[in-house]
Amino acid sequence: MVWLLTAHFAAAALAPLLVRWWGRNAFLALALVPAATTGWALAQALGVVAGTPVGVRIPWAPEYHLTLAFRMDTLSLVMTLIAAGIGTLILVYCARYFTDDEPGLGRFAGVLTGFAGAMVGLVLADDLIQLYVYWELTTVFSYLLIGHYTERRDSRRAAALAINVTTLGGLAMLVGLIMLGEAAGTYLISELLADPPGGPLTTVALALVLVGALSKSAILPFSLWLPSAMQAPTPVSGYLHAAAMVKAGVYLVARLTPGFGDLAVWQYTTLAFGTVTMVAAGWKALRQNDLKLLLAYGTVSQLGFLTAVLGAGTRDAALAGLAMLCAHAVFKAPLFLVVGIIDHSTGTRDLRELSGLRRSMPAVFWTSVLALASMAGLPPMAGFAAKEAVFGAFEHSGSPVLLVALVGLVVGSVFTVGYSLRFLWGAFFDKPDVPPTPVHPPAPLFVAPALLLGLLGLVGGPASSLLDPVLAAYADTVPWNAGNDPAHLALWHGFNLPLLLSALCLAGGLALFRWRTAVAWAGARFALPDAAAVYRRIVYYIVSFATQVTGATQRGSLPIYLGTILVTLVAASALPIIQGRLWTLEAPPVRWWDTPVQFIPAAVIVAAALWALMARGRLFAVVLAGMTGYGTATLFALQGAPDLALTQFLVETVSLVVFVLVLRRLPPRFSTPVLRTRRVLNLLIGAATGLLVASMAYFALAGRRAETISGGYPAAAEEAGGHNIISVLLVDVRAWDTMGEISVLASVAAGVASLLFVRRRTRRLRAPAVPGRLSVPVSSATGSAQTDGEWSPLPLGVAENIVTVRAEAKPLWLPGVLALSQERRSIIFEVVARLLFPVILVLSVFLLVTGHSSVGGGFAGGIVAGLGLMVRYLAGGRHELYLTLGLQPGVLIGLGMTITTGTALAGAVFGTEILAGGAYDLHLPFMEPVHLTSALAFDFGVYMLVVGLIQDILYSLGSGIDEQMERERQAGRAPQSEEVTA
Amino acid sequence: MIPLGLPEPTAPALTTQAPDLDYWLLSPLLVVFAVGVVGVLVEAFVDRRHRRLTQLVLALAGVGAAFVLTLLQVGSLPEQGAGVGVAFATVAVDRPTLFFQGTILVLAFISLLLIAENRDGESAFAAQAAAVPGSEEERAHVLAGSQHTEVYPLVMFAVLGMQLFPASNDFLTMFIALEVMSLPLYLLCGLARRRRLFSQEAAVKYFLLGAFSSAFFLFGIAMVYGYAGSVHFADVYAAVGAGGAGVIEDGEPLLLIGMALIGVGLLFKVGAVPFHNWKPDVYQGAPTPITALMASCTLVAAFGALLRVFYVAFGASVWEWRPMLWVVAILTMVLAAVIAVTQRDIKRLLAYSSVVHAGFVLTAVVAASADGLAGAMFYLAAYGFTTIGAFAVVTLVRAPEGGAEAGDLAQWAGLARTSPFLAGALGLFLLAFAGIPLTSGFIGKFAVFEAAVAAGATPLVVVGVLSSAVTAFFYVRIIVLMFFAEPAETAPRVLRPGGLTGTVIGVGIAATVLLGVFPGPVLDNLLPQPSAEAAVGTQPSGAGIVPEDMFVR
Repeated sequence: MVWLLTAHFAAAALAPLLVRWWGRNAFLALALVPAATTGWALAQALGVVAGTPVGVRIPWAPEYHLTLAFRMDTLSLVMTLIAAGIGTLILVYCARYFTDDEPGLGRFAGVLTGFAGAMVGLVLADDLIQLYVYWELTTVFSYLLIGHYTERRDSRRAAALAINVTTLGGLAMLVGLIMLGEAAGTYLISELLADPPGGPLTTVALALVLVGALSKSAILPFSLWLPSAMQAPTPVSGYLHAAAMVKAGVYLVARLTPGFGDLAVWQYTTLAFGTVTMVAAGWKALRQNDLKLLLAYGTVSQLGFLTAVLGAGTRDAALAGLAMLCAHAVFKAPLFLVVGIIDHSTGTRDLRELSGLRRSMPAVFWTSVLALASMAGLPPMAGFAAKEAVFGAFEHSGSPVLLVALVGLVVGSVFTVGYSLRFLWGAFFDKPDVPPTPVHPPAPLFVAPALLLGLLGLVGGPASSLLDPVLAAYADTVPWNAGNDPAHLALWHGFNLPLLLSALCLAGGLALFRWRTAVAWAGARFALPDAAAVYRRIVYYIVSFATQVTGATQRGSLPIYLGTILVTLVAASALPIIQGRLWTLEAPPVRWWDTPVQFIPAAVIVAAALWALMARGRLFAVVLAGMTGYGTATLFALQGAPDLALTQFLVETVSLVVFVLVLRRLPPRFSTPVLRTRRVLNLLIGAATGLLVASMAYFALAGRRAETISGGYPAAAEEAGGHNIISVLLVDVRAWDTMGEISVLASVAAGVASLLFVRRRTRRLRAPAVPGRLSVPVSSATGSAQTDGEWSPLPLGVAENIVTVRAEAKPLWLPGVLALSQERRSIIFEVVARLLFPVILVLSVFLLVTGHSSVGGGFAGGIVAGLGLMVRYLAGGRHELYLTLGLQPGVLIGLGMTITTGTALAGAVFGTEILAGGAYDLHLPFMEPVHLTSALAFDFGVYMLVVGLIQDILYSLGSGIDEQMERERQAGRAPQSEEVTA
Repeated sequence: MIPLGLPEPTAPALTTQAPDLDYWLLSPLLVVFAVGVVGVLVEAFVDRRHRRLTQLVLALAGVGAAFVLTLLQVGSLPEQGAGVGVAFATVAVDRPTLFFQGTILVLAFISLLLIAENRDGESAFAAQAAAVPGSEEERAHVLAGSQHTEVYPLVMFAVLGMQLFPASNDFLTMFIALEVMSLPLYLLCGLARRRRLFSQEAAVKYFLLGAFSSAFFLFGIAMVYGYAGSVHFADVYAAVGAGGAGVIEDGEPLLLIGMALIGVGLLFKVGAVPFHNWKPDVYQGAPTPITALMASCTLVAAFGALLRVFYVAFGASVWEWRPMLWVVAILTMVLAAVIAVTQRDIKRLLAYSSVVHAGFVLTAVVAASADGLAGAMFYLAAYGFTTIGAFAVVTLVRAPEGGAEAGDLAQWAGLARTSPFLAGALGLFLLAFAGIPLTSGFIGKFAVFEAAVAAGATPLVVVGVLSSAVTAFFYVRIIVLMFFAEPAETAPRVLRPGGLTGTVIGVGIAATVLLGVFPGPVLDNLLPQPSAEAAVGTQPSGAGIVPEDMFVR
């Protein structure tokens, strides 16, 4: 069994090669594979009908209960014979339908063979998931087959439509199958049917499975894809839409009816949708002019018929349904083939243009007569026997639902007779005002498959009583038969209601044919909405809805993205807060203030923060943000944390200056004016988030149950030989943290410079910076020399465009200002800066040294020194900055790192472990003894590093940007002057 | 600097002994970390000309070695129990961990190949990231053929974070892993060679939103700590099971808020709606090899962490988090599928598809069962291979002029006529995304849906299927476009896949087909064996407790 399937797929893979070698005759070779399958199935038939199914099981993914399980019982046998047998004939037919130079024939041959394999696999699969696998394979293959004429737009559309509809159904079915499998505890179909699960979940599962089955079998409301799939080459239509793919849905219904046929959801759904489809599609077929479309709607109608009968859930209906299924395969396939022959021989399928084919193509004509007679249910054809059985089964059941359905089925059968006649008349008969259509006669091998099938239909009628035991083997698995004795298939049951109904159908059909023009008019007049249009509209709505959603949510705007996240966050946390009444949580009472003075900075902070939201100027906003920082620092001070306050003040100041330096290069105002509503919304979102986060922070702190470790800090500080807890914490108790932090600082310093200016820092100052010497780019120097009469440089060396001068020649308050233009200088500022600088440095060193026992520390000291640098830079420009320390920032940072790590390592060398401390009291004359600790050395490293960092920031954000602006100004000026001279 | 509450009120106890670490079980992490560090040194000391090769060989060797070590560790897990906790049980080494780490390492290896691909001396990354886009400086660097070989150590650090993320066994370790993973990625996203401003914008967005979500994650940890008195998953689990750790009376809201906040942090990384907004922008803006890395490895790592948090730490409060994940999963599947329909850019489309897939995996998470875990694991691995392959194809199709990738789908029309192999490969990947049988995508989808149905989440599965249908619609549309439509007037320039990219696509195809046709070996060997409990009878999902024996506690 597995080998047969493998053979199909191997043949499919080889097909392109075979087609390249042998042209269209390769189809004959490919036909051998399904032919072999047919032969194999026939060989097994006796045993299978006798009640011993053939099966094989191979574990596939046992973790997921996936099994490669195949099982051939009677139903599978019948379906295999249909799928493989008709597949064989279709492949033979293809060998004459196509020409050798048909584009894409190799692919087509492969896909068609593969499809046959998937179909055989589908009917043999005994595992729900495996069945789904083949199910989807047929979908994909049929997609490729329908889209064969890739150059036709309609063909592409039809293919996409078919795959979309059937994939939707298929996926729904997958859910249903999984639910069934989970409910039954097994995915094996045979086991599932042996012990079918029940309960509401099963009902849902079956409904989902039916969605899949109905969409595959093109039952309303999924029927739209089948007529448009007629874009496919005719052999494909003949195979897919008569014998194979559409039968998959019907097969699934037939397969599951023995287990679930007694459930209302199963019975009523199949009956209702099947009957309605049969009537509606039959009505539509009555007015088609394209022979193929007529057959397509006819097929939809017949599929409805089959679904209704096979899903009805009685034993007799199952028997009749299976008989009808066989009959349908045998009469519908040749009709499609005939249409292909007519199309091929005359170049048209429009029945208004065809005339006189009855005489010019007699073999085709008689084939059609046989097939149409079977379709219309005329004795002694197979279709007649099957239809009689159906009417009989529904009539005997006595169930009112089935009787109502019977009415529908009879109406549908009337239409069937009607469009059968329309087909016969339209394709073959003479029409008064149409000249006989010219014909080139078809090859015998072209007609043979259709004729063979037609004859099979003829034999099938009289032989129906012989086939009865075979089909009954399946029907007997349906337990319920409304208390009737099992019916049997036969051509003649005597004069009874079914025969009367058949006669009624015939009469009605003749009447419809007689008044066919009126019927076509009425059909067009009272047409159902065009399903294709509905589909297009649905797609259109989905796309436009999607566009709107995209436009609303995915604008690329960061505030909106963030807003979405924040709103979700607030909503998600508000729920437990409100539900759990978080405010009732045991927490210490809120202490609103320690001293009323705290209100002043608090009010300032709030006001500044709100104002910052409204500010439009960047600088102003920065200042306001800075105010909140200063306010916080004030709060720290009021709280009794001078260290924190000092550091915060200093940091705020530095950041303010850095901000200003950067903002020079940005537009003065925030760019896009934001809508007021949006701003208010943002304000609300921000406020809500802030409230949430603040309350969480409160509860996190208030939730403390354990004793805080800060109680142990004074002792720890004392042990480390200091009095300032913060400082001791930083450089002693948590010195490891500090190590890490300053390493980060160092790398940040490296990063800032290298990110902003893609050069190595040393390239900026090519001439070595020696104290007292000034290196000035020539152009800038000459520029300032024109404005400054006192400028008389003594060149010491010229490197490229840089002049190095000795500035001591003329002592100045700030030597670097020489490079500044006159209008940028402020003598008062220069004097103040010069005088203040030593004071600031002394202050910084003081802070550094006293840090261990009172307010201060290396970090604060470093920032203070950095502020000194900043003042000199602001007063004297970038050259002043270069001259001030005479050390590169890198050197300072490196020294700082070396000192801290050195101290740390010294602890290991001289003491017990890394960072172990030591102390030494230095006695100097005239001074109090200085208490020196290893922590002081450590702190000194921090000091150096911070100074280096600030210097680095000033180098890059200050003088670096200065240089850049100067260069731009020169570059901007040069072309202007050229213009003037030109 | 909020002092942590320690039980003893006196000075903190000093640890004088170095912790005893199981270096063997940590070795995959250590190898990757070491390679990252050595990579930094290579940048400093190796000559510019040899850097790329050195870095590439180092990185591949490191990831490969780490993978081999991970495989070897499967054998050294104890027979009893799920695995062992390492380094004071902050890192869990159990079967899920090893599977996720192994998957991440393999996917990272493939992504590295894609990252290393050079065409005419051009990598996918900016010649000089610090140069202003369009400036003279940039031109000079492009002409000089500069390359950022720092990419490799950055990727290694990101991979380190990804390895640690699903392995972390307490919230603080997890947070560190999250940051180690994210920070290099933020940077890598901004390094695209073309459309650099776009790329930088993407990086900034990713960074800002990521920073917020990390902060929420941290807040969540604080809340959970307040409830459970510990950040360790096992303790949290015990506390939840006992109805609180006695730290705070009636602290349930704290747990719920914590859960929500931690959920936000994790779901952001996963890219679930409504935290998905960054994904399309970032996937589109980032250099495509990095997008491939993020779409595969990051997703695997993030889901690994998500599963561990919700299955282990919050394993006893399934009833509390399940509704939240239900809503998120439904929103994710529906909204992303609907929006994806309108996308015109292939990378954006793949981004939305990644969001939808995250939704599918969430349905498995909701199951809260061994099946759910196994399904999610398989799904992630399968999706990872497929998505890297798809992005590899994207790198090859370039705009006719300028050499940028042809993102616009209109340009892909008729691609099958000029490059049938490439179009076929992408077609296969798209079919796998759609979950067509015989591709890995189908088995994955089946696995997660089965788990969800078994856990009673059928409505979720129905929604999932509907959105699958919608996504299938646009995958099919692309296939139709490539195979059947007339070629666009401005046909794209299709590069011949080089050895590296070719390998990536080949591996993608092989994995997609093999995992689809023979999923057995993977499903049987790498996932946790069905436990004794599962063998006795599947646990009713009504218990509200995740089965215990899948993870180390």
